Amino acid sequence: MAMIDLPPALVLMAGAVVMTAVRGRARWVVGLGAPLIALADCWYVITEGAESYLYFLGHALNPVHVHPATPVFATIFCIAALGGMLFSLHQDRRVEQSASLWHAGGALGVVFAGDMVTLLVFWELMTLGSLVVIWSGGQKHSYGAGLRYFGMHALGGVALMMGIIIVVTQRISDGSADPLVFTHFAEFAAGWPGLSWDTVGIWLVLVGMLVNVGAPPFSPWIADAYPEGSFSGTVVLSAFTTKTAVFTLLVAFAGFEALIYLGLWMACYGIVYAILENDMRRILAYSIVNQVGFMMVGIGVGTKLSIDGTAAHAFAHIVYKGLLMMSAGSVLAATGKRKCTELGGLYRTMPITMWCGIIGALAISSFPLTSGFTTKSMIVDSIGEQSELLAQAGVSHTHLIVAWFLLEAATAGVFLHAGIKFPWFVFFQKDSGLRPPDPPWNMRTAMIGFAAICIVLGIFPGILYDILPYKLEAGEYSKVVYSFEHVMTMLALLLFGGLAFFVLLPILKRKETITLDWDWLWRAFIPRLYREVLTPLLEMAQKAQKTVLETLPGKSMEDSRLPAPLARKLGSAWAVSVPVLLIVLMLLVYLVIYFVVPSI
Amino acid sequence: MKLDDPRMVKWLWLGGMLLLVIVIVVDAFVPHHAHFERDGVTIDTLPEFFPLYGFLSGFLMVVVAKALGVALTRKDNFYGDD
Repeated sequence: MAMIDLPPALVLMAGAVVMTAVRGRARWVVGLGAPLIALADCWYVITEGAESYLYFLGHALNPVHVHPATPVFATIFCIAALGGMLFSLHQDRRVEQSASLWHAGGALGVVFAGDMVTLLVFWELMTLGSLVVIWSGGQKHSYGAGLRYFGMHALGGVALMMGIIIVVTQRISDGSADPLVFTHFAEFAAGWPGLSWDTVGIWLVLVGMLVNVGAPPFSPWIADAYPEGSFSGTVVLSAFTTKTAVFTLLVAFAGFEALIYLGLWMACYGIVYAILENDMRRILAYSIVNQVGFMMVGIGVGTKLSIDGTAAHAFAHIVYKGLLMMSAGSVLAATGKRKCTELGGLYRTMPITMWCGIIGALAISSFPLTSGFTTKSMIVDSIGEQSELLAQAGVSHTHLIVAWFLLEAATAGVFLHAGIKFPWFVFFQKDSGLRPPDPPWNMRTAMIGFAAICIVLGIFPGILYDILPYKLEAGEYSKVVYSFEHVMTMLALLLFGGLAFFVLLPILKRKETITLDWDWLWRAFIPRLYREVLTPLLEMAQKAQKTVLETLPGKSMEDSRLPAPLARKLGSAWAVSVPVLLIVLMLLVYLVIYFVVPSI
Repeated sequence: MKLDDPRMVKWLWLGGMLLLVIVIVVDAFVPHHAHFERDGVTIDTLPEFFPLYGFLSGFLMVVVAKALGVALTRKDNFYGDD
């Protein structure tokens, strides 16, 4: 066993713990120092290439494994933590800041996880951090949204855990030498794997990851939870959870075709819902789903170029989305308002916030000379390249052609829903009468820094291409990304997509509405079902049960209660009949299944 | 910025229109390669394909969104004030 290298995640988590205790200037030192030291540690681990093992129940755990995509994700996670902390530190919000570092630490732990136990542990720690960030948001719906967020991710976490247990158990019985290893599930890249008892573990792992990535029907948590963070908390939230899931999908499910369809759905869903949305930070949250949709397609295509494109796009996306959230956060901090209907005309007094917002908007729209252009194009172009190869091999690939045309359309749609809509309704549109100033120096510095990254990566993409999983593919790509044809194609798509926005502006005027989504199921339908169907049924059953019991000879119901003093000490008496009834019903269902499906 | 000045706004609109015209003119001379030539799909090589495709995509997405919105939008206190 080699010396244990310090997992970079622990640096951020130690910072999170210290953050709870320090005051004054020391907060700045910890808040900015922890991400910087973590970044240095990441690169120490990456360049040393050291594997270190811990032993747990006779299995080797590896918390500092460098996957091909680890360098790019680890680097951007540290940068995102640094930017998020810088944006936040002028205010004394220790709980949120500490939780932010913890959340980032969890994400960093996942990208260095060489085994699935480490993966699961950091996955859950990350969720806890983000939950506290949401709960400390202080928005009107922070508490409820946090609860729903936690419920969703607890379910996803359970799916992931069950999946991992099944996969590991199967590997052990197959005599695998390293049953815990977190690596590619080749069964899923070789065509449609089907749903069988051999693959059910992998399917569950996939579901756990799809919850976090915001795939349908789990997408609504993103627009529900993220905008309920504080103006600074949402900046941090936007960076980690979905992109950590992108990383794990990239490692485990590259080349799984179903991800292409999910990705296309997400890319279009994000646009449609953002067009209908009124809350500026929910617009940006929907556009996270849209952008992650591009990445999902990249993972599904699964070629070297598409994987490089996905990793690069995740990097660029975290920066410009953080920047957009900072711009929106500055507006929220200064005005206390989030709705497009209440904002407008802020360009007068918030020029820095506006310009940084516009740079973020251009980058997310993949305008030439911005980071979106040099990264997103790789994913779209990888589709054409893969089609060419499949055509040569005589393999059918109509889905790739459809995917290409849809992504080109979605590219125009991004400019429309995020690129123009966000700055237009917040900074221009009408005069809302608000005259807030630009934010304090640290928020301005964070925004300007992130804006600079967007532009530098647009002009010198080689810096980013050098740390991608397959550097050589990306190196080849850097020769064609700024071809005249490519630049003109993008400009034509974007500018005319933008024209559609202004032509249709009259019908795009915002109203104070939200849009129903899958979450209607668990926020309205199921509660209603519970109130109006299940509760009356249970009450009826309870009554029937009581009547039966009372007619029985022996002690009456009254006598079986706890003596009053004891009941006070132990809390109020709980009726056990309802849970018992539910358990009996469940056993009944199980019995029926047992007879219908004899193979269980 | 002096966006309160109507003349400035007018110049910006004119500038935007000029940009669109330039893109249309240049696009006619850009040699576009077909992304799916082996599959017989060459629509992306036609001149002015991308300006048209960009506009139609944007237009359709807004129209589809509005159409869905008729059925799916609710007042923003629909879920109550949890």
